[in-house]
Amino acid sequence: MATFKIKKKRLKEFIDNLTKEYRVFIPVESDGVASFMEIGDLRFDSYNTDRPPKEIFFPQTEALLTYKEGEISSPEQASTEKIAIFGVRPCDAKSFSLLDRLFGMEPNVAKCSEYKDTYWINKRTNALIFTIGCNHPLSTCFCNWLNGGPFNKEGTDLLLTDNGEDFLVEHCSKNGEEFIKTKGMPVQKATKVDIKRASSIRKKAESTLSKPVDITSLKEDLDNLWDNPVWDEIAYKCLSCAACSYLCPTCYCFDIQDERAGNARGKRIRIWDSCMFSLFTKEASGHNPRPSSKERMRQRIMHKFNYFVENLGEFGCVGCGRCIRSCPVNVDIREIINTIKNVKLTVSNEK
Amino acid sequence: MQSLENELKECARKLLTEKKVDLIIGYKKGALPLRSTPCFIREEKDVDSLIFDFTCSNNLATYLQKSKLAEHRTPNTENHGKIGIIAKACDARAIVQLIVEKQVKKEDITLIGIACTGILDLKKVSDGLDGKEILNYKLQNGEVLFQGKDFKKPLKLSDILCDVCKTCLNPDPSVYDSFIGEPISGAKTEIVDKLEGLSPDERWEYFEREISKCIRCYACRNACPLCYCEECVVDRTNPQWFGKSTEFSDTFTFHITRMLDTAGRCVGCGACIRACPTHVDLAPLGIKIEKEIKERFGYTAGLSLDVIPPMATFDEDDKQEFIM
Repeated sequence: MATFKIKKKRLKEFIDNLTKEYRVFIPVESDGVASFMEIGDLRFDSYNTDRPPKEIFFPQTEALLTYKEGEISSPEQASTEKIAIFGVRPCDAKSFSLLDRLFGMEPNVAKCSEYKDTYWINKRTNALIFTIGCNHPLSTCFCNWLNGGPFNKEGTDLLLTDNGEDFLVEHCSKNGEEFIKTKGMPVQKATKVDIKRASSIRKKAESTLSKPVDITSLKEDLDNLWDNPVWDEIAYKCLSCAACSYLCPTCYCFDIQDERAGNARGKRIRIWDSCMFSLFTKEASGHNPRPSSKERMRQRIMHKFNYFVENLGEFGCVGCGRCIRSCPVNVDIREIINTIKNVKLTVSNEK
Repeated sequence: MQSLENELKECARKLLTEKKVDLIIGYKKGALPLRSTPCFIREEKDVDSLIFDFTCSNNLATYLQKSKLAEHRTPNTENHGKIGIIAKACDARAIVQLIVEKQVKKEDITLIGIACTGILDLKKVSDGLDGKEILNYKLQNGEVLFQGKDFKKPLKLSDILCDVCKTCLNPDPSVYDSFIGEPISGAKTEIVDKLEGLSPDERWEYFEREISKCIRCYACRNACPLCYCEECVVDRTNPQWFGKSTEFSDTFTFHITRMLDTAGRCVGCGACIRACPTHVDLAPLGIKIEKEIKERFGYTAGLSLDVIPPMATFDEDDKQEFIM
């Protein structure tokens, strides 16, 4: 498999060309918040964005259908636009592959949802993902706990490694390979020196990550902890807002609402929802099976580290660290994982 | 002279060992260099984890709300359990306002006021360091020396404190059971109104810019001690007063409504802006509203236990120039 490289100074021209065929999203900082946008100044030295790229394929507010005088249309489903994202980090690229399975896009994979979410699938099909590996992981990054890493290839079409003056380019998928072959990306073949350099950059990056905590038994540990008082310890300070869920690249819960203008026209929209809201499980009777932050925090942790494993075969977390950075009361999911690992099982819980 | 933190720990230890309180709500070191995190202490051995510095950004009074207390495995104050709570002057005012609004009983709270010279604005820090990750810091001589993977840079403390702290009118709590530290001198005397003098277009530009950043996570509402409605107007769906999507007009309405609902009750602590993950900053609007309240009713929230808040009463002398 040949490895290529592209000079950094040719990137702007390359991205401009790409916009002729694709809607291109790049990481952009605006007023202190980094997110993926279609226009802006590309920064190579930035970390993973504050807002997750899931919102490109799964917008916070999305019209599922609109109706006007008896005519129903679903523009989101019919769209034939092609999307390219340049500058995704490996954690976020992995989130795409997790959500692909969740939204029913990978029927041939062992564990995949049966239900097909055509809104996600439509945008994801033919999307091109250019991932930039992380030379300088943050102290809040813990992708390596979750079978990920700063140069992980899951969910990526083309992996770029920042090699100084240029980026090393490797294709990680058929689409990526096709793209290099046919689309005229201004690449040259990488030399042995380039490859060696990239390799040492990667080793260095991997070594700066904190030593991974072994979570191979986390799912099973959680099977036995439902009634354990540890959840009080974990959830006491949570404010039940949605900062963690909305900025999480693998959270996908949504609510459906109808918004109408009179009787003749309106739209059915879906909007992000969060299990952390007290309202999430409130029933029409007024009863709420998750009345406090304890039950809701338990739900969040169980979903990511237990139910997701049961349903889709993998942990539903990519270790991006956004929840740690954004939580108003500094809840740290790594601390939670460690607490769970260390909890003494009471006699009644032992099986 | 004892350090602030040692004085604080001694006070907390005494309260717990003498069984004057069952629970202490304070701050301890967070998981990141510039973060603290709320802590709930029931045992004397945990008192040593208490800290107090410019990273103590949360308004802990929010944990005294009935709904939050009822949620905890710890019994709420109405049944039993006295709570000692560490409070900066603004947090103390929020506690007083909660008592005035009958959300909390004064006899159930031991208010431990603490001298505060301002809280860090993490966005200002990040801007000053070009977004680089901070691994360590040291405060000396009015400067904070920040250290990262491959940099060391000092920033002036006065440049990185929150705007609401820099213009704080009441840095000393008026109502407290204990006071840790020395009273602060040199407080401002005039409310700084950032919206004053802006043209309507400029004001609109400001609102549009800030509100477009909002992701409707409600961190602001949940961090606010005075937002304690059992059912928030934004959550009601039957009837639904406004939309829950990120449609600009709906988001705008949410924020204006929240600001107006906290009118005469907001203590200007800035917990809402610091809680926001996308840096929405509507503090200037909140401050403007409190300026109106002060001018019209001579009232500032949380300075006294012996008041009726202006939005809960009326007086024949209330200005009516806008209708007469």
